[in-house]
This record gives sequence, C-alpha cells and structure tokens, in this order.
Amino acid sequence: MSKYNLPKNFDYKDVNILKQFLTETGKIIPARVTGVTASNQRKLTKYIKIARFLALIPYTDMHK
Amino acid sequence: MNKYESVIILNPNLSSKADSFLKDFETLLSSNSFKILKTEDVGRRQLAYSINNHNKGHYLLFNLEGDPSKLIDIENKIKYNESIIRHLFINVKKHYGEDSQLLVESKTKRKDTEVEDDSPKIEQSKVSKIPEKNVDKEEIDSEIKDEKKTENNSDEVKDE
Repeated sequence: MSKYNLPKNFDYKDVNILKQFLTETGKIIPARVTGVTASNQRKLTKYIKIARFLALIPYTDMHK
Repeated sequence: MNKYESVIILNPNLSSKADSFLKDFETLLSSNSFKILKTEDVGRRQLAYSINNHNKGHYLLFNLEGDPSKLIDIENKIKYNESIIRHLFINVKKHYGEDSQLLVESKTKRKDTEVEDDSPKIEQSKVSKIPEKNVDKEEIDSEIKDEKKTENNSDEVKDE
C-alpha cells in the first residue's frame, strides 16, 4: 500500500499532489525512496514536467 | 477529431482585457472548426519563476475538440500574440469536466480577499451564489484565530 493518496487520474494542474514528490530544491524524488509504483512514477514525472513548464512548480530554488 | 486541453498564460498587465481576448480566441478556434467544451478563467496567479520578467500570469484553461491538422495553424497565430506569455496544448483521451484544482484554489482565495476589502460588483455576485459556504469559512477563520490566541496565552504562561 502506498502512503500517498494518489488519484486514479493524475493531473498537471493538481499542484499539491505533485509537490509531495519534489524535494525542497525542486528535484523529483526517486521512486525507490517514495515507494511509488514504476508506472505511477512515469506518470508523475510526465505531469511534473508539464507543471514546471506552466510555472506552477519551480524547476529549482535558484530562480532569480 | 481529437480532444485537447489547453492552458494559456496571459500578460498580467492585460488581464483586464481577458474577456476581449477570450472572444478573439473563440473566433480563432471556431474559424478552424474547433469546439470549446469548457473554459475556466483562473485569473491572476503567482508564477513559480519569472517569465519575460513577469512574476504573475493570468491563467486560462480550455477543453477543446478538433482536427489535429488545424491545430498547427492555431499555434502559429498564438505564437506571435504578444499578450500571451506561455501556451500549451495537450492531447487527452478523455475530458473529465470537473473544475480543475487551480480554479478551486483561486475561488477560495478570491473569497478570502473579498471578506477583507470591498471588491468590484462582478466578484460579489459570485459570492452571492454561495453565501452559506462563505459564512462557514468566516466561522472557521474566527475559530482558528481563537485557537491561536489560546496558544499564545499558553506560551506566555510558560515564559513567566
């Protein structure tokens, strides 16, 4: 069982869910740490990258 | 016919002209035989990083349906529109039709600001649709404040 409440359908607009899988510096946390299944991790990375492009999530904490 | 989700971030300085942009965009889409199934006007929102020296952006979300070959024409026109600071079209299998988390967040934020200062009539009409929830929120807020006060009091006691 996963300790995260993952929705059935991921959404790049749901920033609060995606933020659980980022470090403080904005990196994506590896699945071996979070225990997310491989298929979910692939979906997560896809949507995190979309959310970053739309400036909903920072790429790093070093933005000017 | 493919289904698309689209996000457009407008220049925050032109967010008052968002309505006229929406009309232009609708005509552009309909001229390319695109259907708009849903529009969400999220409003101004803080960007996670600055884009073209803008720290805020006016977010618009669309659920679209149309022909993939025509999408290229639309994107070409949007590219050279200076009021758009970022845009995205995503192919989706299915539209869920629910309000996105962004819209829900912005609505709750708007409510909070309205309670503090008197804002324009348009936003007030939105509040009047859901007065009960608003009242609940105020109650909750006051409860939270009370809790904080009690916490502070206990801290003071410890200090003494």
